[in-house]
Amino acid sequence: MSAPSSIPDTSASIKRRNILQGEAYASGDRQLELSTVLGSCVSTCLYDPKARIGGMNHFLLAEPLGHAPKAGYDSDYGLYLMEVLINEMLSLGASKRNLKGRLYGGANINAELAPIGSANAAFARDFLKREGIEQVFEDLEGRHARRIHFRPASGLVRCREVIDETPPREKPLGRPKSALGAVELF
Amino acid sequence: MQSTIPHQPDAIRVLTVDDSASMRALLLSALTSRGFKVEQAEDGQEALDWLADHEVDVIITDINMPRLDGFGLIEKLRTSALHADRPILVLTTESSDEKKARARNAGATGWIVKPFDAEKLSTALRRVTH
Repeated sequence: MSAPSSIPDTSASIKRRNILQGEAYASGDRQLELSTVLGSCVSTCLYDPKARIGGMNHFLLAEPLGHAPKAGYDSDYGLYLMEVLINEMLSLGASKRNLKGRLYGGANINAELAPIGSANAAFARDFLKREGIEQVFEDLEGRHARRIHFRPASGLVRCREVIDETPPREKPLGRPKSALGAVELF
Repeated sequence: MQSTIPHQPDAIRVLTVDDSASMRALLLSALTSRGFKVEQAEDGQEALDWLADHEVDVIITDINMPRLDGFGLIEKLRTSALHADRPILVLTTESSDEKKARARNAGATGWIVKPFDAEKLSTALRRVTH
């Protein structure tokens, strides 16, 4: 005896997409689940509940530029990935004033190293505040890596600590090759 | 509209148009520290209203903004007597050739991809206002 064919097997039709460090992705696809593993990196999950569009990025602030006179991390790349994420959501029909933000990651896994996780977390919180985006949840800092799953069309997030696995290899990037600030005069 | 730090009398006057407060802060810091006089607007409409009775030497605008986007701003400025020849640089995360062509057709002077390099941006500003 087989199950009635009218009940769809939703688990089989879920599409999964892994979001790597340096990526931002937005969608309104109800079958899509975005996933990522975070050590000291931070993921911002943004959701517009009216448009039912969500998006996620995954960033690690760059080490200070060699010639930069000021201390601290170079936030330009984090800012860039935030803007790419928001612009992708707007292009799909989301509205900036409806966005709700959830923040994950920013662990300080190696206690002996500078707390780069906290720096990433602080940047993300400040960004949402400054842009007037409501921060509805955070699971940030601590000592353990996290694995998160995000359904962009419903805004649902599952997050669990990754304790037994090797934490993800994360390396502060210099500015990406695409980030040369290319200038083209017409 | 945000006014800025003291500047030299002959400083190049720049209007930056961006709806992101973080990006405005970054541009303000990068440009004032390099000797530019910076005014800021939060979207195309605010820029247009301010430009109705103010002058600048060059405009830097984002594309994706509420009310009036960067394309709309460029098109409107190009039909105004006061700003028809004003250099306008687009500063954007957009990388599509189609959008770049649209900006060029609307009358943009140049196209700069974020995240921007402050030195290259300064050089471009000086070049288009020389």
